[in-house]
Amino acid sequence: MPRLLDRLVFRLRSLFRRRRVDASLAAEIALHLEESAREHVARGLSPAEARLAARREFGAVALVEDQCRDARRVTFVQNLYQDLRYGLRALVAQPLLLVAATGSIGAGAGATALVITLASELLFARPTVRDAEALVNVTLDGNSHVSYRDWRALDERGIFAGLAGYHIEGSVNLRQGDRTEAVVPLLATANFFDVLGVPMAMGRGFTAAEAAAEREPRVLVVSDRFWRRRMGADPNAVGRAVVVNGETFTILGVLPARLKAIPGFGLSPEVYLPLSRSVLPGLDHPHAAAAQLVGRLKPGTTPEQAAAALDVVVQERHAADPDRPQHVGLVSRVTDGIPGLGSLWRFFAVLVVVGGLVLGIACANVAGLLLARNTVRQKELAMRAALGASRGRLIQQLVVEALWLALAGTASGLAFMGLAMAAIASLPLPLPLPLELGVSLDWRLFALTVSLVVAATLASGVLPALAGSRSALSPALKQWERPYVHRRLTLRGLLVIGQVTLSVGLVVTALLFVRNLSLARTSSPGFDTTHTTVAQIGLVEARYTPETRVAFLQAAVDRVAALPGVERAAFAFGMPLTVRHGRTSGAQITIVAPGARPFQASWAENYVSPGWFDTLGIARRMGRDFMPSDTVGAPRVVVVNETFVSRHLAGRSPIGLHLMLPGPGHDDDYEIVGVVADSRHRAIGEAQMAAIYYAYLQRPSDGRVLHLVARVAGDPAAALRPMNAAIGGLDPTAAVDAQTVSQSLAFAFLPSQVGAALLGGLGLLGLTLATAGLFAMVSYSVTRRTKEIGVRLALGASSRAVVRLVVGDAAVLVATGLFAGLAIAGLVTQTLGALLVDGLSPHDPLAFVGTALLFGVVAVLATLPPVRRAIGVGPLVALRTE
Amino acid sequence: MGKPSDLLQGTLDLLILKTVSLEPKHGWAIAKRIQQVSQDALQVTQGSLYPALHRLEEQGWLKAKTGTTETGREAKLYALTAAGRKQLARELETWDRLSGAIGLVVRDGEA
Repeated sequence: MPRLLDRLVFRLRSLFRRRRVDASLAAEIALHLEESAREHVARGLSPAEARLAARREFGAVALVEDQCRDARRVTFVQNLYQDLRYGLRALVAQPLLLVAATGSIGAGAGATALVITLASELLFARPTVRDAEALVNVTLDGNSHVSYRDWRALDERGIFAGLAGYHIEGSVNLRQGDRTEAVVPLLATANFFDVLGVPMAMGRGFTAAEAAAEREPRVLVVSDRFWRRRMGADPNAVGRAVVVNGETFTILGVLPARLKAIPGFGLSPEVYLPLSRSVLPGLDHPHAAAAQLVGRLKPGTTPEQAAAALDVVVQERHAADPDRPQHVGLVSRVTDGIPGLGSLWRFFAVLVVVGGLVLGIACANVAGLLLARNTVRQKELAMRAALGASRGRLIQQLVVEALWLALAGTASGLAFMGLAMAAIASLPLPLPLPLELGVSLDWRLFALTVSLVVAATLASGVLPALAGSRSALSPALKQWERPYVHRRLTLRGLLVIGQVTLSVGLVVTALLFVRNLSLARTSSPGFDTTHTTVAQIGLVEARYTPETRVAFLQAAVDRVAALPGVERAAFAFGMPLTVRHGRTSGAQITIVAPGARPFQASWAENYVSPGWFDTLGIARRMGRDFMPSDTVGAPRVVVVNETFVSRHLAGRSPIGLHLMLPGPGHDDDYEIVGVVADSRHRAIGEAQMAAIYYAYLQRPSDGRVLHLVARVAGDPAAALRPMNAAIGGLDPTAAVDAQTVSQSLAFAFLPSQVGAALLGGLGLLGLTLATAGLFAMVSYSVTRRTKEIGVRLALGASSRAVVRLVVGDAAVLVATGLFAGLAIAGLVTQTLGALLVDGLSPHDPLAFVGTALLFGVVAVLATLPPVRRAIGVGPLVALRTE
Repeated sequence: MGKPSDLLQGTLDLLILKTVSLEPKHGWAIAKRIQQVSQDALQVTQGSLYPALHRLEEQGWLKAKTGTTETGREAKLYALTAAGRKQLARELETWDRLSGAIGLVVRDGEA
């Protein structure tokens, strides 16, 4: 359509050749005026008068020019361009506002987007498999796992297109160079890769034929992370050998990067091994928890149909043998999320709500800031209105400024998220789980952040824009305003109180954790942490009997004790204040004495070798230590701690006392031969527990993981490598990990570290928002009360009085929030006693007072600019606005 | 004659298109011609002439080009486009219908 094309060309030309078009318009009108003037001259007027007459007849030239420009229908774009430039300039002229608003929105939106993405990543990620919709989780009788036999039998029934199983609760020892490390593998049934259809980056998965458990397969598949970190991204990885539990396995394939593994929750095992007796001893046991089931539905089948068919089979077999499961527990789609954990949705919803609240508060703050700002710009807006700007035009201007804020807010939000993600990725978890929180900045996260920021900014910008434009139009220029009544309690005031309370609560708790961490460096858990090392040894179970295990440990102790710098060494089942700290037991025990009645007791339990107490520096109070003669067959002995004596053996002399303690299958008679000092077992700040120590030689536990401790003269870190080598030399298939004891305590301090980081971060965020809110409130108040301030100053009020007037209400709000926050924090920290070291009270004055001071200083700083503005108000200027 | 009324505003487009249909003219000449031909009955408010001209140009019914006036000055002349000619025909038809209808109502009851 030629007309449409012409119109488009016309508009483009008007847009981009503005100056030429304007000149042409001016010339056009000039010509008109000339001709008109000539006519008037012809009628007898003088040239000057003629020109005036022509002008009068024409009307307002500027107005007509504007109307012509409007008629050319490009004013919208031109106005927009103008607004953009002007808005940017205006924002940059007020850096405080820019920083406060940008920071608020960015942090709020960034945090929300991050939380949502993390949560959805952890909770809802679809596994990376072929046709994930067709996969279902299957449980029987409410048990998460089934035995190997059951799996095979069910798979053969053919109810599913394929039924596979996997097991991630185990651990295998991986040999790398001269070090052996324990890793958590995914043990899978032979048909795992066939059924799931996991894509491979290199090579292939194992097949049902080659990896059947009966054949003791020696193949494995490795993850991308394994391939990168342990093999240096070797392009010839397929076919290479890996030593697992002392046996050589061949790599069949490498998984792709950023794989969402079937267990979910961000778990991403480094190695996938076929189930076999060598990696899971006890595989054949009829009640072994060998595998979690995951099946692929036949095309056209629903989970309900599969469940019904399965139920029939299960019922039959239960009828034949009551030992077997009776019911199909659940058949649910993998993509529907973890079955039975509906509470996860609620948790997720809570997260979203909290995130939304944070964002909402940030928006409210920014709205307040912009509102405060717009009241200052009354005159400017009124001038524009008087020059002919419509209300829509003014709103457009203010909205454009809000959009600039949105841009800045997006940048800050992305920066915030980048920092947070880097922090998360670098968080070393002293936990044995192979978690891979693969949250990278993909386009979805980006889009989510941007939309959140834009929504937030528009929400915060529109209200002030509407309010600002309305008040601009007539009253400001006419110097008449609705009298400003200063209300003491406003909605914004309540918001400030709320923000301060919340932030105070968070900051106090965070400070408490920080104090905890700093004190913990120096406090003693009851055993030596400065000159001791501990080596965690993970044995390959199949290789040892209880006797050979003891022999191995004794040989290891001898070797380590012979190392230069090592004074003594010992071994035990558990290591206090680590993940594996031994056991806790509770039972009825009886003192073997006439008239003694059984009593209920609970205690921490460990199985230790002779010399263990001395090595760790746990003082002996009475009696003797275990001796090499305290072995199986010799009279049973135990050592207890002071608390056990004071709590349960009231008055009696402990040494020589006999107790009936629970043993395997039945109670046994034990003699107390020693009493040691109290120490910590599970948590750094726990209430003191009673403890019973058994002689390992007498009751070799069946634990696979053991701890060898050594006392070192000099720097304990220097002994780590020799220890690893010494123990590893005895059995290269054993996973050995030596640390200084202070390093091993990292687990005990993990809650404090996480608490300090998380709460501290949130607290700072809240502090920022509260500060911005406070600033906005006081700023707004000062602006509206300019006249009042001027009058007071003119009547002789001192600067101090003015400050008191302006700041008075804000101070009350902050103080209220502060007290409320401290009170709530006091209640919350009370519950954290167990995580705190001795000597740090949950109401630590340093943390509380420090927080109060921090908020006080910040509040003062926040109100400083508006207060300075208030004092600087010249009384004459203020009165002139009247 | 009385002030050119609302009627004129609505039909300004029609007048301009017709005036320009004979030969391209610049703004002043258009206003003058309308005044002449209507024997001074219609005087276009100069403030509304130019916005109207620019609007018609934006709609694609007029096309601007540079030319010379009678006095030899360079000026912006407006000419009718093919689409403009069609629009003129449409507006004329509308006008005829409208004025006919008004005439019927106004002369109703007379002999």
